[in-house]
Amino acid sequence: MTHTPPTTDASPEPGRSRPRASLALWLQAAAALMWLPQAAALALGVGRIAEGGGATAMLAPAAALIGFGALRAGLDAAGQRLAFRDARAELSRLRFNATRALAARSPLDAGRAPSGLAASVLAEQAEAVTAYVARFQPARFKATAVPLVILACVAPLSWLAALILMAAAPLIPLFMALVGWRAKAASERQFVAMGEMNGFLLDRLRGLDAIRSAGAVEATAQRVRAEADGLRRRAMAVLRIAFLSSAVLELFSALGVALVAVYVGFNLLGQIPFGAWGGRLSLPEGLFVLLLAPAFFEPLRELSAAWHDRASGQAALEALERLAAPGRMALPGAVDEPAFAPPFGPAPVVRLKGLRFAHDGAERPALDGFSLVVAPGERVAVLGPSGTGKSTLLALIAGLAPAAGGRILIGGAEMTPDTAAALRARMVWIGQTPHVFSGSLSRNVRLGRPDIGRVQAERALRATALGPLLDRRGDAAVGENGLGLSGGETLRLALARLAVAPGATLVLADEPTAHLDRETARQIMDALIALSAGRTLIVATHDPELAARMDRIVRFDDARLEDAA
Amino acid sequence: MSGDLNALRPVVRALAREGGLRLHAGMGLAVVTALAGLGLLALSGWFITATALAGLTAAAALAFDVFVPGAGVRGFALLRTAARYGERVTTHDATLKALAAFRERLFRGWARPQAARTLLARPARLLFRLTSDVDALDALYLRGIIPLVACAATAAVAAILLSFLDFRLGLAAGGALLVGGLGVAVLAARAARRPTRRRAYAGEALRARVVDMVRGQTELVMAGRLAPQTDAVMAADARQAQADDALNRIEVRAGAALTLLTGALLAGVLAAAAHLAEGGTIGAPIAAMALLAVFAAVEPFGALRRGALEIGRAALAAKRLAPRLSDTDSSAEDAPVAPSPEPGVALRLAEAAARHAGDRGFALAPVTLTLRAGERVAIVGPSGAGKSTLMALMAGEIAPAAGSVTAAPAAWLSQRTTLFRDSLRDNLRLAAPDADDARLRDALSGAGLGAFAGRLDAPLGEGGMGLSGGQSRRLALARLLLSDAPLWLLDEPTDGLDGPTARDVLRRLVAKTRGRTLVVATHLRREADVCDRVIVLEGGRVVADLARGAPDFRSALDRLRPD
Repeated sequence: MTHTPPTTDASPEPGRSRPRASLALWLQAAAALMWLPQAAALALGVGRIAEGGGATAMLAPAAALIGFGALRAGLDAAGQRLAFRDARAELSRLRFNATRALAARSPLDAGRAPSGLAASVLAEQAEAVTAYVARFQPARFKATAVPLVILACVAPLSWLAALILMAAAPLIPLFMALVGWRAKAASERQFVAMGEMNGFLLDRLRGLDAIRSAGAVEATAQRVRAEADGLRRRAMAVLRIAFLSSAVLELFSALGVALVAVYVGFNLLGQIPFGAWGGRLSLPEGLFVLLLAPAFFEPLRELSAAWHDRASGQAALEALERLAAPGRMALPGAVDEPAFAPPFGPAPVVRLKGLRFAHDGAERPALDGFSLVVAPGERVAVLGPSGTGKSTLLALIAGLAPAAGGRILIGGAEMTPDTAAALRARMVWIGQTPHVFSGSLSRNVRLGRPDIGRVQAERALRATALGPLLDRRGDAAVGENGLGLSGGETLRLALARLAVAPGATLVLADEPTAHLDRETARQIMDALIALSAGRTLIVATHDPELAARMDRIVRFDDARLEDAA
Repeated sequence: MSGDLNALRPVVRALAREGGLRLHAGMGLAVVTALAGLGLLALSGWFITATALAGLTAAAALAFDVFVPGAGVRGFALLRTAARYGERVTTHDATLKALAAFRERLFRGWARPQAARTLLARPARLLFRLTSDVDALDALYLRGIIPLVACAATAAVAAILLSFLDFRLGLAAGGALLVGGLGVAVLAARAARRPTRRRAYAGEALRARVVDMVRGQTELVMAGRLAPQTDAVMAADARQAQADDALNRIEVRAGAALTLLTGALLAGVLAAAAHLAEGGTIGAPIAAMALLAVFAAVEPFGALRRGALEIGRAALAAKRLAPRLSDTDSSAEDAPVAPSPEPGVALRLAEAAARHAGDRGFALAPVTLTLRAGERVAIVGPSGAGKSTLMALMAGEIAPAAGSVTAAPAAWLSQRTTLFRDSLRDNLRLAAPDADDARLRDALSGAGLGAFAGRLDAPLGEGGMGLSGGQSRRLALARLLLSDAPLWLLDEPTDGLDGPTARDVLRRLVAKTRGRTLVVATHLRREADVCDRVIVLEGGRVVADLARGAPDFRSALDRLRPD
């Protein structure tokens, strides 16, 4: 199957050593340095014009301008592409790790990220990683390497010009620190403020019915405006500082350039006859020095622009790594391929021996030495008030969390992390609020199982009295939250998932009638009983009517004592 | 491309309406910034060359005025820095202002009854799309219009400057800048259009699949489909990576094209200037000035190229948001519920039917029904029978697909319980902005939430005080109790309450209802018990309408769920 990380990078920690990435850095720095020969060509060209050279004398400089321009374009493109590909692969790798880690955490793990958080980190926040990895590191490398090379080119012509640039250079890290710190704070705060504003608007849009029925549309619209204006004011306060600090950076680089220009001008006029090794600069030399001065500061400006990427990129990296951390409780066999289950195997016997389980941080164990035997084809109700651990029991039988002690045997096979996936292939789970996936009704029944076709799915839908709904909805999507489906319809959908899996011989139903009216609850009971014919059925419930229709009732408190007795 | 431009038009109009002067000031400052940059380089080039030539003879060196050009260089440097700062502040402020107005406008647009219903029926994915669309609109002005204006201005000024040397040179250089620079941007925008869309959709798919994976984890793992679901998440990522790669390729190519254009322009101007100098038209200082002016004029096109890649996303956002941003509101859509019915009648349905969007048949077959003012009516029937749909129709939240609805102003407690991220007080005051704390506390105890009367300042909603499902519903009920609407529509108001509390809540509710019309959709006997009329729904049609005392009234009640 395709469960391999999508990166071809084989190093165990690709974040550390990436040869492609360092090649990308060198390529981009080399591209920036192509300005040196271009500037030299321009300076020589103007020098020749001053000497009276005509268009023909321009052939070599013009060719150099074009040639080195092409070289620069090629090097830069190659460097940027390499850096991007590497960064994008890194994003995929991080997403893969986080997705896998999320899938591998037990649904009973209380520390598991809620779906909203997981989605916003994986889908939106994660995107900042690419820009950070692809842009910030090359910018930082260029900011250290390129100014040094330029300095090395200026110094042989004029030590004073080099000195001026060097004198401006120590100021730069100072301002960079200032800019960086401000920009980081700015982008972080703006990110938070933006998120809050969007959260506020979403919150109000989701609650539009409440707002409308309370007649509060006008008041809320004004609050939306007030909040958005507040966001603008807060954002502008921090942006102003960020812009001001980069203006200071720009001012210093402009002053550095102006100083160099003035010095070169006076030197050329002979009014400052020192500073160059031979006493006076020539016109091409002076022009060359002048053209290099802005290029000296350019990488620093680029770096300050990339600082925004850094703050959000690092925040995204941290969020992704938090998601990818292993949970406190694993879901046994989470992503194993289920072994092939015999299509019509006999209903299994279920033996539970001395089961123990405690929720994370709970004072009392939810199960402490629980034992039970359910005969093949038997229908058993586990009856007890809510919050006593009935659902936990079913989850353990389904292998959704590892038991802290005791054994679970299903049809003679022991539930272990290795067998969990294969054993689950013979089970069907009916939860109290089944999840409705985004997609059509029939997709919701098939869940992408290759052995279940559309016709089978639709037959199952009709068998569970969802025919009229299917006729109305057709292939229209049922929403992400199952909007548009009533509680009863959602449960029928879960029953259709049962109807479509004839190979599943153990049915686990967790409070299937908890949120239904009596009429619907009865219909669901009838369907559940009809569909579980020939299968072993364990129902956790606090509904006495449902329990009474099973072959046997295990009172949960009695069962706890069973082992002691 | 032209489709994109058409989609952007209403947004540009809305932007102009909201941003006003600031937008123009921002564009002006952007032009000043670009021109100051051009002036700085051009003047420096001239200055250095001129000093070099003057320095050849001592007399010329002495006569050379260094102060005016020197001051000019410093002046341009300062002007450029100041103008850029001003441009950034002004344009960002104007954009944020316009976005603030857009958000309000969007909210109002969606708050119209029919629109509100459509919005709620949408999956969370589309709701989420709304806010990311608003965010995407900022690119239009900041990274689209602003650099476009700056580019046009610098290209024009560079062309005029060179025309003083030779008009053919001016035309050629200006033309090359505009055709080359704009061409690159236009081509990039056009090429980026499809990958931008694919990228947006892949991002949405990724989001939806992660939600399905986390929330549907149990169902997936039981069906042996958890691993394929993680693959599906990564498939969405792979599709997005493909689009990202295509976009990056376009961006890099556009950048390379601009670098090539710069080299070619410089080479061309160098050759032309040498030719003119040879002919004696210009001197070396002017040649240097021309070269550096052209060099500076290319710079703003770099920003335009980056903006071109984001315009596609902004156009997509604009296309989706435009209907709600426009000024024109159809009053028909505004009021599916016609103004109040005649006195003494609270609600009248005449052959009114309802249909869910996308459905083929009616969710509720045509109903004719009159509710007298002051009546208390229960709507009963199995789940899925259409109770909530009938309520929505009565509340005016959905327009009848056929027939007509006339109703007094209604307050509706729907099955969805909405708590806002706000204090408990503000959550309650939504229904009665002027209510004092005493009234709020009274409403809380009326809904069986007396325990919260002392915690009006507690924050609610995500990250706030945790309320159980039952408590949230009671809070929504308390909110309804504060409403002064003459018609109250309640969907299972005491669901999830234990018997004694529920009875207490119902007793207080009836007391507060005096003089109002009450409609309760329910499957609980105790709730129907307080009503004097029962309407029975089945399969989307009314099968019985019974007044208290009618022979079947009691048996209809008996079919409901006891406590």
